[in-house]
Amino acid sequence: MNTDRFRDEVRHWLDSHDLTPGDDHSFDAQVAQLSRVRRALFDAGWMRYGWPEEVGGLGGAPILRAVLGEEVATRNLAEPGIYSMIEVLAPTMISYAAPELAADMVPRLLNGDEQWCQGFSEPGSGSDLASLTTRAVQAGDTWIINGQKVWTSLAQFAQRCVLLTRTGPGHDGITAFFVDMDTPGITVRPLRTLHGVDEFAEVFFDDVVVPAHRMLGRPGDGWRLAMDLLPHERSTCFWHRIAYLFSTMDKLIGDAEQVDDLRLGEAYLAAHTVRCRSYATQQRLAAGAALGPETSVDKVLLATTEQQIFDTYRDLVPGAVEWDDETLRSEYLYSRAATIYGGTAEIQRNIIARRLLHLGRGDSG
Amino acid sequence: MDSSDQELLAETLRKVMSTSSGPDLDKKLDELGWQEMLAEHPDVSISLVFRLLGETGSHSSVVNDVLLRAHNGAPGESVSMPFANGRWVQWSRDQICSVDTVDPELPLHEVATGDDIPWGAARVALGWWLIGSSRAMLELARTHALDRQQFGRPIAAFQAVRHRLAEAYVAIEGAEATLAVADGELGAMLAKAAAGKAASTTSRHVQQILGGIGFTAEHAFAGHARRVLMLDALLGSSRELTGAAGTMIRNAGHAPRLVDL
Repeated sequence: MNTDRFRDEVRHWLDSHDLTPGDDHSFDAQVAQLSRVRRALFDAGWMRYGWPEEVGGLGGAPILRAVLGEEVATRNLAEPGIYSMIEVLAPTMISYAAPELAADMVPRLLNGDEQWCQGFSEPGSGSDLASLTTRAVQAGDTWIINGQKVWTSLAQFAQRCVLLTRTGPGHDGITAFFVDMDTPGITVRPLRTLHGVDEFAEVFFDDVVVPAHRMLGRPGDGWRLAMDLLPHERSTCFWHRIAYLFSTMDKLIGDAEQVDDLRLGEAYLAAHTVRCRSYATQQRLAAGAALGPETSVDKVLLATTEQQIFDTYRDLVPGAVEWDDETLRSEYLYSRAATIYGGTAEIQRNIIARRLLHLGRGDSG
Repeated sequence: MDSSDQELLAETLRKVMSTSSGPDLDKKLDELGWQEMLAEHPDVSISLVFRLLGETGSHSSVVNDVLLRAHNGAPGESVSMPFANGRWVQWSRDQICSVDTVDPELPLHEVATGDDIPWGAARVALGWWLIGSSRAMLELARTHALDRQQFGRPIAAFQAVRHRLAEAYVAIEGAEATLAVADGELGAMLAKAAAGKAASTTSRHVQQILGGIGFTAEHAFAGHARRVLMLDALLGSSRELTGAAGTMIRNAGHAPRLVDL
């Protein structure tokens, strides 16, 4: 289906199907709302466009998923961060899971039946992800997993986890598994965030037994799997987030009590710039290009813009964050994380220096 | 024009621009078919020619041609253009007048007033020029950082140095993305604002990385640093255009999405 027609039809459908969230703004309610939105969009077919037929999709260009996400974000139907997780989880399964496993599992994610999480970061392995130590040891046709993950978004809601483990030394010794979260030996301890939400968790693995057919790819493919996520995260997911930032700009224009056109213009210019950059990235992807380190530019622009917009909001609507606007407060505080999650601002600049400016290896990699 | 045509043309233009500047370059550009290029492939011609003016550090009065094309002026005229603080200036076609400005090489002179016309195409052109200059500055700092040894290694190894250059690179890439899709007056305003801001970000970081050598008049950085100040002030500075965009969106009551998938 052509992009413009898809957008028109989705808008038309959303105009006549009310999926507005209820008054409960708790995180539990947001997760439930996400399932509701996915279920409705799946049943109507919209959620299935841009995904391959083998996993329950209707085919078509992946860019349709960016368009759908933009409409969802613009109408504020689902929390944009958790809505977008599907964009990294499902493609990983499609690329690395055995075909029958992907065909069985991916539809449950698309249709809202399940939430999944991503077990990557560890207490000792954040920016230096490849140093991770959660160990998987083979035992017949199973693997035994021991270790700990942290900052695992949605872990306490998730039925499954895409988990990185160590099976040998170095980058080639990282292996990924698709793990059922109700397996004995898994303990989830939610962490309260700065913005007051139990969004992520610590996850402990004590002699967790995983069948060998749940391995994603082959032993040692885990690092490549983690790197292959980036093009997905930095195309469709970013477009969703940018849509959310534009609707935040719309609200800011309506709410602003102080007139400061320079500040307003600066925030808008930043939003426009990252939208133009992301547009170029989506065009390259659609033309068949492989995305690589240049998407670190998109990431720096997006993170910087998100913080700038909420800083501007706080300045132009004085007291709202501190006193009387609970939703804005939560969003403002969450924006502080934008330069940390998904690869810190510093890591992105290291990548730009090394891979795009060809400055050689630096003191910090 | 396909991409191999464009590369060939870029090669030719780069050669011409590295050996001539000013009225001499105007003449050579005309001989190369600049007017026809501008008429037939305005977007490609503007981005190519103006970016290369920046990269090579040469200058030409061709911004007049972009403005004349946009509102059917007589060929060869100079158009009055707004400059910072309510001034109006013209870009002379001949190099007679040299005013003592921050960039005395550019043949700009003050005029009493001018007509307010659509500036979009010329703003985009100057945006590409600013981006070309920024890329030239960044390259100076990049090679310096790799060559210059202190504490027994190239200063490019130090994260503080790397991050400044990365910051400049991000600003340039972002601005270029806005120029590539700049359409309509608001799009052109934003694109020139982004390019002016990228140029000042780049100039600041590059100057710092170059250290003492970058503060000498003989280093190539000096010419670029002066030029981007002048180009930013012409047809609306980054600050003026950003503020004007803020006014526009406040009046509109929403933030226009200027590009769509």
